[in-house]
Amino acid sequence: MSQFAVIGKNVPKVDAYEKVTGQPIYAADLKMQGMLYGKIVRCMDYAHARVTRLDFSEALKLPGVVKVLGPEDVTQNTYNTGACDEMVSDKVGDLLGDLKDQTIFTRHVRHQGDAICGVIATSEEIAERAAAKVIVEYEPLNVFMTPSEAEADGVLQLHPDKPNNQAFQLPEAMFPGNSYGWGDADDAMKEADLIVEDSFYVNKQKQCQMEPHAYIAQVDGRGRLNCWSSGQMPKITHLKIARLFDLPMSKVKIHSTTIGGGFGARLGIISEPETCAMALAVPGRPVKVQTLREEDWIISESRHAGDYWMRLGFKKDGTPVACQARFKANTGAYFTHASGVPFTTGAWLSGMYKFGALGYQGESYFSNQAPAGAYRGYGNPQTNFVLEQLIDRALNKLEIDPVQWRLDWHKGVGDDGWCFGVKYPSCQLSECLRQGADAIEWNKKSDELKNQTGVKRRGIGVSVMNHTSGATPMLLEHTVCTVMMNEDGSAVVSVACSDLGQGSHTVLQQIAAEALGLEMDEVHLKTGDSDANGFDIGSHASRTTYVGGNAIMEACDDVKKQLLERATRHLDTTVDNLEFAGKTIFAKNNPENSITVAKICHLGVYNYMDPETGEPEGAPGQIFGFSSHFSKHNSPPFGACFVEVEIDTETGEIDLLELVHTHDIGRTLHPAMAEGQMVGGAQQGIGMALTEEIYYDEQGLALNSSFTDYKMYGSSDMPKMKVILVEDPDPHGPYGAKSVGEAGLTSPVGAIANAVYNALGIQFKEAPITPEKVLKAIKENGLSFS
Amino acid sequence: MKERAIQLTINGTAMNLTVPVHQTLLDTLREQLGFTDTKYGCGTGECGACTVIVDDKDSLCSCMALAATMNGRSITTSAGLAFDGLNAVQQAFIDQTAVQCGYCTPGMVVKSTSLLRKNPNPTEEEIRKELEGNICRCTGYDSIVKAVQQAAKSFPETDAKWDNAVEVKAGVNA
Ligand code: FES
Ligand code: FES
Repeated sequence: MSQFAVIGKNVPKVDAYEKVTGQPIYAADLKMQGMLYGKIVRCMDYAHARVTRLDFSEALKLPGVVKVLGPEDVTQNTYNTGACDEMVSDKVGDLLGDLKDQTIFTRHVRHQGDAICGVIATSEEIAERAAAKVIVEYEPLNVFMTPSEAEADGVLQLHPDKPNNQAFQLPEAMFPGNSYGWGDADDAMKEADLIVEDSFYVNKQKQCQMEPHAYIAQVDGRGRLNCWSSGQMPKITHLKIARLFDLPMSKVKIHSTTIGGGFGARLGIISEPETCAMALAVPGRPVKVQTLREEDWIISESRHAGDYWMRLGFKKDGTPVACQARFKANTGAYFTHASGVPFTTGAWLSGMYKFGALGYQGESYFSNQAPAGAYRGYGNPQTNFVLEQLIDRALNKLEIDPVQWRLDWHKGVGDDGWCFGVKYPSCQLSECLRQGADAIEWNKKSDELKNQTGVKRRGIGVSVMNHTSGATPMLLEHTVCTVMMNEDGSAVVSVACSDLGQGSHTVLQQIAAEALGLEMDEVHLKTGDSDANGFDIGSHASRTTYVGGNAIMEACDDVKKQLLERATRHLDTTVDNLEFAGKTIFAKNNPENSITVAKICHLGVYNYMDPETGEPEGAPGQIFGFSSHFSKHNSPPFGACFVEVEIDTETGEIDLLELVHTHDIGRTLHPAMAEGQMVGGAQQGIGMALTEEIYYDEQGLALNSSFTDYKMYGSSDMPKMKVILVEDPDPHGPYGAKSVGEAGLTSPVGAIANAVYNALGIQFKEAPITPEKVLKAIKENGLSFS
Repeated sequence: MKERAIQLTINGTAMNLTVPVHQTLLDTLREQLGFTDTKYGCGTGECGACTVIVDDKDSLCSCMALAATMNGRSITTSAGLAFDGLNAVQQAFIDQTAVQCGYCTPGMVVKSTSLLRKNPNPTEEEIRKELEGNICRCTGYDSIVKAVQQAAKSFPETDAKWDNAVEVKAGVNA
């Protein structure tokens, strides 16, 4: 029998009943008395231009139009929609060169969809019609869409502080030689018997969360600015909005609405600034801004595309002697995560294998693409695509089995993780590799697939990854939790942690229930209210269960300490002699001598004088537990993915036959939800590897801003999936848990590419590997399959 | 703005409505009547978030139908399936943890119910085929397919349907 009451159980998700009946309130569902509708006028015809004329007169004539706000009618303060700038100290931010380079409305269009002005009207339809009547004239500017175009001579510099449009480079002061790693990789490379090297392109993938962004803002009767937002970092939103409009945070309230998927798309802020600016222009009236799906594609941040060069050196026996890499990320039109992603891309690289020396250079460049930002994996899938393919290229030459080599050379307990000096506290990657290889019948298939004939070719591939559970020590990891004990011994746990759908609210409630010895129903998780909840950095870096969970456990410990203290008075004994048994505290030397938690809590609140003794009945005061938890650890999880593909060499189509997804989870808190993260993550990893990319025409206008033209794997496309969770409780995670949120996306990317390599003997240097690229490569390599 | 008077039965309640002729059924449901359990995901028939059941059986993307053309039809949304408790599909979605962010869920539940009403014993392939028009970005579909398979075991007994409209609510929109 499990030692736990609720941990490790598939309890119903706390929001599932509401969701199957369509009850939760997403921002778009809200309707308020006197509500006005905002429409943001966006530049749709140019990716780079200057506004030469802006005329609202025709729009204002339309009955029902309340106001039109141009760039000069709103605050001139600037901001960064990302979050990294708030998650490092000012000093580090300066060293990194972080920028706040966005304005609410602009006269310099830097990408298609940039916001020019905002129309406020009495109905959505009128707002839309008025937006079409705003006259905007543009002077087109030269468009640059890639890092190499951006740094070319004579290209307009998007920001005065960033020569050659280089938004970021690992700063010399923190990374000597602008390089992250260890040893002298140049020197070490000289020792190599085999060197493999190549340049890759990684793709611009979109999160495609199903809920299009929608916001409401209202200045209420007390002059408070209220904003209903589905952001995944409500406290960062709170700070950013207050600062943007020069308001004390007490004058701003963020109401978190149900989040219809995030995957990074809602990390930081999106159109809260425009919506709040409109609300401030019409005090008292709520203003709703509903983003259309086609707008969502081009305005919210995507994964960083970029050029990724890598060189690996090996000894004949497979010993990895050196790794050198350079990632030039395309940050798009604004800074956003220009410093965060190029760093972590290299960090995941450094965390994977025991190379003798490693040197990684990370940069990012502005362009006229839509801004890039956070997307599940945050640099890790990019590294996976490149590193895992090059490893297999070398192993093919060295005639070493890809599973065996990974077993031999992956980093593990005691090695430096993705952040040097922070050692891996736990690692079950070897077990993941072994169980995954068995599940897909690696050895048997490796042999079978050697001698294939016919136009359809099968292949198997493996890839491994390391990730993180929160971003300690790179970024701030801080969560505040209060636990209020009700008078009957049930509890209200208050945290600002958000649930993007992954189930964090369910898991956090499980953790609280387990820690307090209560049933799930006896705990209520209070979230989503910036007035009530203390600080939380927000949902990112797969940290909510790990950091939020530990914050809750600390606050519950505080409650338990107070309960024991009170019990000493009731039971007339010392703390050492007391023990919890579920909802009761008893004296170890005399189990009869006991008191229920409910009674202590009740007497603490309803505290009366005993009429006979004149003494209070029990200890007075309601019990509140508190923690302001800074995570000291980041317990990275590992994982190995195995894939089998069948490729039709006549059509170029890649059929995914099977995907085995193993994960080093520490302890599984909710098996079904953990599996859901792995399967759902795989769907997105498959997309990155095979189908998903935002394409632009020569003018920099997006070509495929719809679900028809941007192809994601659907219900019939998905392969047969098997998830294997390898458990080995981590010393630091809540109940031993490590993260599972982003990991599921990462390793399928490399595994698929390697399976394709295994099938065709060709490596693809550009993701996604589409049928056109497959056919072209077969032709270019002069191969014929029959 | 041209308008048309129509009668719609929504989740068992008949309503006399006046709708702008260019208004989609999705907007009538969400904006005019407040049935926000039907979701907007794309507005172009590509995602299935807005799926409703028409006349108890067939499903339809409500963003692709003009309300004015639906005169006399009966519409069921996910809230309307929970008649006297959850229907088997809804319960199965909970049991199989087939719900993550929940934004696709009302459409998925409605679409799956429509499938089972037409084909109470679908194969896995048939389920996957039928759900192709409904995008879920969270689950990877496996748990959803399992939920439909679970629901199929107790269908149609656990699928409550609204009897014919009981009353005509006049002037909802007047
Ligand atoms: S909203 Fe109707 S199909 Fe997407
Ligand atoms: S549960 Fe989020 S889109 Fe399906």
